[in-house]
Amino acid sequence: MAERRTGGSEAGYSRRAMLAAAGGLTVATSGCVRQVRSIVNRDDIEQLSLTITTRPADGDRESIQLAREIAAVFDAVGADVSIEMRSNEEVNRAILFNYDFDVYVGQHPGGTDPDFLYEALHSLYADESGWQNPFGFTNLHVDELLEEQRRVDPADRDEAVADALEAIALEQPFVPICVPEEHRLVRTDRFDGWGDRHPATGPGYLGLDPSDGVDGIRAAHTDARPSENANPIMAEYRDLEAFVDLLYDPLAIEIDGELTAWAAESWDWNDGTLAVTLRDDLRFHDDDALDASDVAFTYRFLADTTLGEGVSPSPSPRYRGRTSAVDADAIEFDDDEGRVELPVDANRPVAERALTVPILPEHVWKPRSAAADLPGVRVAQGTTEAVVTDNWPPIGSGPFRFSSRSEREHVTLERFDDHFTRRSGVELPEPTVETVRFQIDPRSTSAIELVNTNEADITSDALETYVLDGVEETDDTRLLESPSWTFYHLGFNARKAPFSNPRFRRVVARLLDKAWLVEEVFHGHARPIATPVPEEWTPGSLEWNGEDPETPFLGTDGTGALDVEAARSAFEEAGFRYAADGTLRVRQ
Amino acid sequence: MLAEVLARVVAVVGVALPLAIAIFVGLERLKRTHTEWRARLRTSAPVIVILSIVLVCNRIMRRAGPSISRDIGIHVNFYEIEGEFVLLFQRIASSEMNTYFTVAYVYGYTFLLIFPVIAYFALSNTRPFRRLLTAYSLNYAIGVVLYVLIVAYGPRNYMPELVSETMLYDNSPQFQYLTQEVNDRRNVFPSLHTSLSMTVACFAYATRDEYPSWLPVAVGLALSIVVSTMYLGIHWGIDVAAGIALALVSVAASDRLVDRWSLRDLRDAVASVRTTVDRQLDR
Repeated sequence: MAERRTGGSEAGYSRRAMLAAAGGLTVATSGCVRQVRSIVNRDDIEQLSLTITTRPADGDRESIQLAREIAAVFDAVGADVSIEMRSNEEVNRAILFNYDFDVYVGQHPGGTDPDFLYEALHSLYADESGWQNPFGFTNLHVDELLEEQRRVDPADRDEAVADALEAIALEQPFVPICVPEEHRLVRTDRFDGWGDRHPATGPGYLGLDPSDGVDGIRAAHTDARPSENANPIMAEYRDLEAFVDLLYDPLAIEIDGELTAWAAESWDWNDGTLAVTLRDDLRFHDDDALDASDVAFTYRFLADTTLGEGVSPSPSPRYRGRTSAVDADAIEFDDDEGRVELPVDANRPVAERALTVPILPEHVWKPRSAAADLPGVRVAQGTTEAVVTDNWPPIGSGPFRFSSRSEREHVTLERFDDHFTRRSGVELPEPTVETVRFQIDPRSTSAIELVNTNEADITSDALETYVLDGVEETDDTRLLESPSWTFYHLGFNARKAPFSNPRFRRVVARLLDKAWLVEEVFHGHARPIATPVPEEWTPGSLEWNGEDPETPFLGTDGTGALDVEAARSAFEEAGFRYAADGTLRVRQ
Repeated sequence: MLAEVLARVVAVVGVALPLAIAIFVGLERLKRTHTEWRARLRTSAPVIVILSIVLVCNRIMRRAGPSISRDIGIHVNFYEIEGEFVLLFQRIASSEMNTYFTVAYVYGYTFLLIFPVIAYFALSNTRPFRRLLTAYSLNYAIGVVLYVLIVAYGPRNYMPELVSETMLYDNSPQFQYLTQEVNDRRNVFPSLHTSLSMTVACFAYATRDEYPSWLPVAVGLALSIVVSTMYLGIHWGIDVAAGIALALVSVAASDRLVDRWSLRDLRDAVASVRTTVDRQLDR
């Protein structure tokens, strides 16, 4: 795509140069030079040409199908559109690090608290790597509203969030499409307690009740990346997964929507400071003590992985939003007392989200603050060892520790016997088995078969929706449905015209028949959305009411039939033009 | 799971090979092979070494290839060039066809590749044998270079729902364990299933005087495999066309390359270089 565009403009230049040369001979002396120059020095507008970046069916079957439907509507309105498929980590690298895309289709990790949008959309982050504003979206009004919901009294936060969501819906920095249902197949004859806690999180694998003689959880995992890389802050390799939670402890963990003290014994909130008391005698998997200084280090490190040694701060590509309100330089700690004081510039609900990041051992990660270098290769500024290391073996303090792995085959964890959840008097879900083995199995269909043939206990990634209608439960297997907060969306690269134009983005949003896409692509196992937050945070004005309340479909709802004439008029009303041959012309 | 699938392939091919040897090769040739095998091996040793090296490199490259092609490969979406051509095969879809093409793709292909190696080794004239191994080497060597340069995904990855009825991994997910051992999912251009099958078919034609009844079997099997790659949603028509071209190039090149250099030539060349060097040093 990019090549084609460059080719076009080069051709344009040479044509222009020839004209100028030929014209120059005849008119140079006649005083018309100015006019010639102003004739040839005008860039032509060209047909809108764009590439949709997405994953192939092996990586995400719904994404490629959505991309094709979206390509079809772009084509119908006169754009020149193509689809580029890339593997899971390549898609993430192109979007989150290199901004090498026009638009993309995929799943957003989302969040249970709408504050994830602060990270996703604040213009402060337009230039950072990771899930912090990959769209390059910049809007001061939205910034202000995102900040406001962090500052207001918690009692007024609902309203502040609603204001922010409405402003975002108006701007459409990305088009939220739907929230897919999350289903997993589990064996009930080997474990009781599946689904007591969310199976996309670590606690989902703790506190299970194994049958006699069962001493390991066998998970069939469709995404091979956990077997390739164990770096908790590496955004290319991490999606929704329990893997990091099992290896690393946070101070507090979300169980059933409730923030629960985890590595922290307790914390107090007073006047902008979270005063955390750690549990006694916490250990990392290499038997080093987990001290208050490791906690303080973690927050400093997530804010700047160069630890102040870089030309400019180089924040972690993950957990940025959750820790952004923490003033990392002003953290105070006392190793002997096991106390950490985190000064936080936010209201309590937002501040407490900072407690959910994994605690990193200082002795392992501090040396990784050095700049990554490769002899003879130019490395992007701010690339520290920390953000590129594969991190094998991962050293955390979590309920399980790393045991063995084979790339694209399995990762096996073993119980960390010293974990605090195993102490008497601690009423938290604890590891009840010796091992957790994530068996990599690339397809939902075969993962299901592994559970059916008693070779696996759970399909640990959410099943693709196309297999759901065919899954049969037996006496020993059960289909487990869990709440979902990830969502499918169409992301724009707002650094490029015309995707930088909110009017353009709004018309594009209106080309999508979300209800129909849910039926066609997700076989009904999803709900269409106008705003990307969980239902309990959705304001009435943005509730799905049979159609999108903000950007209703330009066609007959639920049929996928786009009214092409109406769509073209909408583009024209938004300031774009059509050529006689029906192609949409834009400046790019 | 992999072990299970492998065992099945070994079992099926283990039955098919002796049968085919009995039918096509015959006792007479086997007896002569028994007395001549050392000499034949000696003549063919260089080609066997080359093929082994190519196969080892191929294996390494297929593991390392994806990360190299991420940097230098060209991403192409073949759908945008050829459209829905491969969906043509969905029209003949039925569960019997699924079984037939799956068997052809997995078992037929393995058999088709191994049998000629034995059949040509059973010939006193080692040239067909050496040419076949040379052609295999060329297929794999050129194929792996193209895999690194061209990054593309097959129809099943682009329009999964349109090929789902016949798609190999939806219907027989166990085979993915086998194919992922030998292949990355981005390796679609060219279709090596096509190129190697067509290579065998070309050789079957060239050796029709020796093995007249093998020719129709080889051609029939090769064509089934070629169609199966598209029917099962694994390859585009373009991959298959490139596979056929690769087969023709490899077969033609094997004719030119084999017997061009003999070991004695090589020894003579080394000797003459050595004498030249010695002479230079003496001076």
